Amino acid sequence: MAPSRDFYETLGVSRDVSADDMQRAYRKLARTYHPDVNKDPAAEERFKDISEAYDVLSDPEQRRRYDAFGPDFRQVPPDMDRQTWARARAGAAAGGGGHARRGGGPAEHVYTRSGGFQDIDLEAMFGGMFGGRGGGRSGPIPGADQEAEIELPVEEAYAGGHRTVTLSGPDGSRTLDVRIPPGVTDGQRIRLSGQGGRGGDGATNGDLYLVVRLAPHPRYRVDGRDITVTLPLAPWEAALGASVAVDTPGGEGKVWVPPGTSSGRRLRLKGQGLPNPRGRPGDLYAEARIMVPPKLSDEERQMFEQLAAVSTFDPRRQP
Amino acid sequence: MTYPLTRTPGHTLGCQSLTAFCHTGGVHPEMVQRLVALGILEPERDDAGNLWFGRDQVLALARVRRLRAGLGVNYAALGLVIDLLDRVAALERELRVTTSRRTGGRSWT
Repeated sequence: MAPSRDFYETLGVSRDVSADDMQRAYRKLARTYHPDVNKDPAAEERFKDISEAYDVLSDPEQRRRYDAFGPDFRQVPPDMDRQTWARARAGAAAGGGGHARRGGGPAEHVYTRSGGFQDIDLEAMFGGMFGGRGGGRSGPIPGADQEAEIELPVEEAYAGGHRTVTLSGPDGSRTLDVRIPPGVTDGQRIRLSGQGGRGGDGATNGDLYLVVRLAPHPRYRVDGRDITVTLPLAPWEAALGASVAVDTPGGEGKVWVPPGTSSGRRLRLKGQGLPNPRGRPGDLYAEARIMVPPKLSDEERQMFEQLAAVSTFDPRRQP
Repeated sequence: MTYPLTRTPGHTLGCQSLTAFCHTGGVHPEMVQRLVALGILEPERDDAGNLWFGRDQVLALARVRRLRAGLGVNYAALGLVIDLLDRVAALERELRVTTSRRTGGRSWT
């Protein structure tokens, strides 16, 4: 809760707004930020602020008091007028602390007369998030599920690990230590039980779902659980066949390139893709790309010229 | 003396009776019956005609209560709103899968 926040600002209306316009603004915001409509964890807090603001401003008496006394209006006794309150506040501030309960001056006068008004528990008054409106005779309401995105490098999706996630919450931001299971895929949801929307008055919380996004990787291309990696080959390796090293998220692997491999050929390394906790792991594909030396030595040039003279191979010949 | 001839779903599926469900959900049985009549809650019915509510129904009821309390959605609109929210969620899920496939196939991810 942010008690210093201006209620009019929260609803995005001016201070002289009519009741109708205010209701319209409230309804629109409520539809946008309702936790069952908007899965963003920040939306819940926003919705609560909006509801609180409207609860106060939609009641003409409370609105009048809010206009007169500002955010502290609930601490002001009902029969106090504005000037007395202002004097009391000034006195308390001069006494070193806005909420001094003891000490001389007008502040004491205010608080003793109010009989502990400053101790009102706002949460209790509003009954959590939904207690204020329409709930009627029913009990506390469980919280809604929420969703947030988490971006992971391919290596972490492969091996799993721990991540610290920071989310904005009711008491500032909260930090969660999340265990990433090995083999999560793009778009998969990790469920954090009870970390979603708060239930009112001891009702159960909703769950928080972290939607996994795989971060772009310079070498790995991921499709589901399959990973494709480019395998650069020298022309002679591709023509004669060779056993070459290939990068995999699990470390360096070896792949046998059969003789006569052209660019684009996909060599499958079975089960070397993203692991699958519930079944067959994905495969890793090494996609051949034939590279030539950018500059030839005299000897290399001679041999290529010799090859060109001898070979009848024409890759552009139509079959 | 009566002997139960059929097993109730409650024993097998971890379901709750109407009374227990109302207690868990914090609502009056009348409201639950109204939601069942509207097709918003879908409990199992045993051979004796008793209603049994699974865990998914507890979550469904919580959502109904949040929508009513937070947005003032009335009984008539509840069914439509819930169907639309479910459809949006399903489409978003599908979109997540297809976009990841598409980008995964073309660009480096």
